[in-house]
Amino acid sequence: MKTSAETAPLAIRNLTKSFKKITALRDVSFELPEGRVVGLLGRNGAGKTTLLDLACGLLLPTAGEIVTLGRSARELDSPELTRLGVVRQDGRFIEWMTVAQQLDFTASFYPNWDAALEKRLLEELELNATRKIVQLSQGDQQKLSIVLGVCHHPSLLLLDEPMSALDPIIRARFLDLVLERLRDDGCTVVISSHLLGDVEKIIDWVVCLDAGELAVSAPFDELQESYAEWLVTAPTGGLPEKFVEPFVLNHEGGPKQARVCVSCENNDEALQSFASAYRAEVKSRSLNLDEMFPHILKLRNGRKAP
Amino acid sequence: MLLVIDHHNGIPAYRQIMEQVKFQIASGVLTPGTELPSTRALSAELTLNPMTISKAYGLLERDGVLERRRGQTLTVRAMSADDLHEHKLDPLRQQLAAAVTMARQLGVSPAQAVKLFRETLDASSE
Repeated sequence: MKTSAETAPLAIRNLTKSFKKITALRDVSFELPEGRVVGLLGRNGAGKTTLLDLACGLLLPTAGEIVTLGRSARELDSPELTRLGVVRQDGRFIEWMTVAQQLDFTASFYPNWDAALEKRLLEELELNATRKIVQLSQGDQQKLSIVLGVCHHPSLLLLDEPMSALDPIIRARFLDLVLERLRDDGCTVVISSHLLGDVEKIIDWVVCLDAGELAVSAPFDELQESYAEWLVTAPTGGLPEKFVEPFVLNHEGGPKQARVCVSCENNDEALQSFASAYRAEVKSRSLNLDEMFPHILKLRNGRKAP
Repeated sequence: MLLVIDHHNGIPAYRQIMEQVKFQIASGVLTPGTELPSTRALSAELTLNPMTISKAYGLLERDGVLERRRGQTLTVRAMSADDLHEHKLDPLRQQLAAAVTMARQLGVSPAQAVKLFRETLDASSE
């Protein structure tokens, strides 16, 4: 029997990475299930890029372990590297080549490079293969990175801010393309992004980093179902200045009306008992990822405080 | 089958699918025996993760709304007239619950609220 850490496309145990005095990642542990689209979220400098670089062996851990496609990332070799697709923020190309030459060059390293897929993606992403790489705009460089990252049918695709320079039309096509890889190849996708609204459409797992530490690693639906904003109205007044319920994250308002953000496992049940305890009407609204995000970070800081 | 998913309202996409399928069945848009699109096809159409679609389909099957026929196709299950009648009221019940909350917040008495509902019904049937 293989343990889950051996079958998980990415397994991380007590991972720490320091650059001289700066600790970019501190004691991070989690495992990703296979065939998911994982949103790797965090503020600027949270450690997203460092984590992805460690996963593909471009950086080595200071302490702890990172296992990519069943092998320690220190020892990744052809069998794993040919199954790994990486799209980095700063695409590294051979600049004097044309797009077509760069594609041919990269393809020569991969036995199962899919030329038909390459051709179709160039069309869909509207990238002209005859152009010289030095002349490409940032958006076009990002498109090239994407084509280079997926045409060998990877089983694990690591995407670092892949959409930051793409226009909305191309972003939508890009999301389609990621889902298509998932459907056709059963590929696990990790996508780091600060454009939460875009990734929200396709992710089904969230890993959130906060200043180098793991804030959350959970299925996206579970997070969506646990966070809500309640509009509490007590016609006769009597709402307290501070709610003591542990699931209340923050609140504003007065004795007659309050807006409360909550996070709990069973929202409906909590809502019922809350409403009867304060003799109030409670109207619940779900939170989207943009709205949830600060609470995920704050909740953690609250817990960390002595 | 036409579904509209709002990706930013915070309601998990699988729930949105479930509610819309149930509503379309209750309102007669989807009739018993209708085949649903495959997980794959619907994932492509809605730009949604196939896992999300399977989760929605799985739960609808568990709720007895859909059934899996020989092979793999998923179809709308035939319901008894009583069941159908009951399900028909579900979405209306939800909307009314929201209206009840609002009536209480506004301090509208039950009698006034019922009167208003009747008047609204009459007005729209004219």
